[in-house]
Amino acid sequence: MSGIAPAGDPVIPDYGQASECVINNGAFCGDWFVDQWSTVFWPPLVDHIYMVVIAVVIGFIIAFVAAVVAYRKKWLAGPIGIVATFLYTLPPLALFQLLVPFTGLTLLTVEIALVCFTLVIIFQAVLSGLAAVPDDVKKSAIGMGLDQRQLMLKVELPLALPSIISGLRIATVLTVSIATIAAFVVDSGLGSPILKAVSSPFNTQFIAAGALAVLLAFVFDGLLVIVGKALTPWTRARVS
Amino acid sequence: MTLSSTDTPTSQTANSAIVFDQVTKLYSGQAAPALDSLDIEVKSGELVCLVGPSGGGKTTALQLVNRIVDLSSGDIRIGDRSIMDIPAIELRRTIGYAIQQSGLFPHYTVAENIATVPNILKWDKARIKKRTSELLELVGLTPVDTWLGRYPSQLSGGQQQRIGIARALAADPPVMLMDEPFGALDPITRMAVQDEFLEIHRAVGKTTLFVTHDIDEAIKMADRIAILKPGGKLAQYGTPAEVLTHPADDFVAEFLGAERGLKRLALTTVGEVLAAKTDSESGLQQDSNSPQVESDLTLREALSAVSAAGAHGALVMDGGSHLGEVTLHDLVNPPAGAVGARSVEGGGS
Amino acid sequence: MNDIFGAFPFMAANFGMLLEKTGEHLVISLIPLLAAILVGVPIGIWLGHIHKGEFLAVSITNIGRALPSLALIAILIGFVGIGMLNAMIALFVLAFPPILSYAFQAVNSADRDLTKAARGMGMTPLQVLSKVELPLGLPMIISGIRTAAVLTVSSATIATIAGSGGLGDVILNQVAYGIEGVLAGALWVAVLAILVDQFFALLLRVAAPTGVRRLRAATV
Repeated sequence: MSGIAPAGDPVIPDYGQASECVINNGAFCGDWFVDQWSTVFWPPLVDHIYMVVIAVVIGFIIAFVAAVVAYRKKWLAGPIGIVATFLYTLPPLALFQLLVPFTGLTLLTVEIALVCFTLVIIFQAVLSGLAAVPDDVKKSAIGMGLDQRQLMLKVELPLALPSIISGLRIATVLTVSIATIAAFVVDSGLGSPILKAVSSPFNTQFIAAGALAVLLAFVFDGLLVIVGKALTPWTRARVS
Repeated sequence: MTLSSTDTPTSQTANSAIVFDQVTKLYSGQAAPALDSLDIEVKSGELVCLVGPSGGGKTTALQLVNRIVDLSSGDIRIGDRSIMDIPAIELRRTIGYAIQQSGLFPHYTVAENIATVPNILKWDKARIKKRTSELLELVGLTPVDTWLGRYPSQLSGGQQQRIGIARALAADPPVMLMDEPFGALDPITRMAVQDEFLEIHRAVGKTTLFVTHDIDEAIKMADRIAILKPGGKLAQYGTPAEVLTHPADDFVAEFLGAERGLKRLALTTVGEVLAAKTDSESGLQQDSNSPQVESDLTLREALSAVSAAGAHGALVMDGGSHLGEVTLHDLVNPPAGAVGARSVEGGGS
Repeated sequence: MNDIFGAFPFMAANFGMLLEKTGEHLVISLIPLLAAILVGVPIGIWLGHIHKGEFLAVSITNIGRALPSLALIAILIGFVGIGMLNAMIALFVLAFPPILSYAFQAVNSADRDLTKAARGMGMTPLQVLSKVELPLGLPMIISGIRTAAVLTVSSATIATIAGSGGLGDVILNQVAYGIEGVLAGALWVAVLAILVDQFFALLLRVAAPTGVRRLRAATV
């Protein structure tokens, strides 16, 4: 945690022979971006992907189990929802800093905080997906002799999938965005090149890293859309 | 009782009568019982309709049978076994269950929906496939291959209901429970599906308990009708003809409605009247405007045709051939032998 | 662990400073919020009323969600320079998408049978909007503002890198305030976010028309 002093005049980092664009601090210097891709952008991008995937997977497991439990034991839905919403409301930077005394300036701190932000979204998505399963479908499933487990695995969860996937999409996109703030705690992820460029306002580095984060969010989102479509063929069935 | 022509699973017993023995259901937190000392027997192969106003406990009575609702007191026996002696889940797998809105699984194809119970009973694939095709043919959805892969959202309401019935029949259960299965269909589709189901019922002979709020549907479908009144008390149990001719009390008479006499005419077909007529002379003045009616029309429908034509009788036809004549008098006062001829072994209450 | 307890004496000792920073924090978060409401709500309502622009509303929401606040503020340093204006523009950009899309959904998703019935009774389009669509959609419009408010208060913490002041100044300046100060600032801003959230939760309950008990979980 360093005090980040707002910078005055731009100080262009010395990366050897600078192009005209870099010297003038143009909005985006393509040549510099290409030159620095492998050192300045690629490693943080990979770190960022790891950070997001770990957080979303763990967050999904916790929130999913919590939602299934809350669906069975209705009285739990309220308290779990309140805790998850509370965690979600905390400003990310505050949560990061509050965890530091316990888990230090580590990746663990980052992951704990990121997981906290995914919980409420996935929890609500799973729960509302389960709650929206039509009564007549459940009634006929029970009437045909499906037991509790079969009802959940064969009927309720598959029908909740569209809602679960859309919650997962929102949580993932949000996590990509919030993970940039992790750079205040660890030197990792796409927030890192942004923070490093703040003291010497260098446009190309901001824009490139920011754009990569947005792009990454869309790529994850797109992948989840594809996975969702593959898992729910009935939602696309058309009257022929 | 006619068994399904198909492979018969072991669960099928010769006696699949459903006996309600002093059945009472009191939901917790409620002062009055939903069902009060119900005492009826549904014979093997019979189709019994439970009718009555809302609050009569008819759906409760149905759901007690497959233990979706638990008995408060009394007993229900299927065949000779009390339902309480069979684990609920196992019991349900031996009972066909069809409900309003069909309850089809939207994420399963038609084939997967029909195979739900056979799958959990772990039938082998070839047997399931064969059974699915048979059932689709039985409910008239042919050619089979065009329907197997569709999702419920790609079917009309009537088609969904047919699949719902096929699914209920899938494991060849000896007993069927149907909870207003045709309640959500438009009148024309409803009539067609009713007719089809009656045909299926005659072919496979499942002991069937059928809940409906529509007395006309009950009159059309049922071998016997159980009329429940508010408070879950049985008001009357008898064949449609008995109920219409001799309502047990004012409640039943009012429930059957002012057109009770006309409804009774819907029990008999023109052909049956013609067959029961002793005098060969029709006595029909050959009005030029006498309408032609098919022999399988009900008296009610024939009466409507005669009235619409402003005639005094009708010519009974079978396809192209002329079978005879019926007079207005025949239609309104059918010969005793003809009434209720459709109902099976019409035992009393 | 002990550092956390150190935060409370720090708050007591620096109460005036924290209040001053809170004031700055609210200024840089609430002015952009207000601007986003003034622009976003009317546009959202209008698009919803004419049932057009669904794609626009959804796209803006998606992009808004994916846009990292840190990147946005950093990029604006390059174009606007440092200071409050930078932070306010960034926070406006962040607050606008949820406000617009919730307002759009609120009106767009009004029961078509109801609006048809209202038109059938002879209401003008303006009356349909003011008497049917708006009262029914108000809770959802407020939900959007609530989401945006929490987001701006949250993100304003980061705006300190653009030199805009606010509680981020304390949280990110361990050199000046020590670990106790950092934690005190973090706790302080966390409480502030929760208070803002609860304020809108309260407003939501008041705004729901009697007879409409639609519990809309404030999904993000």
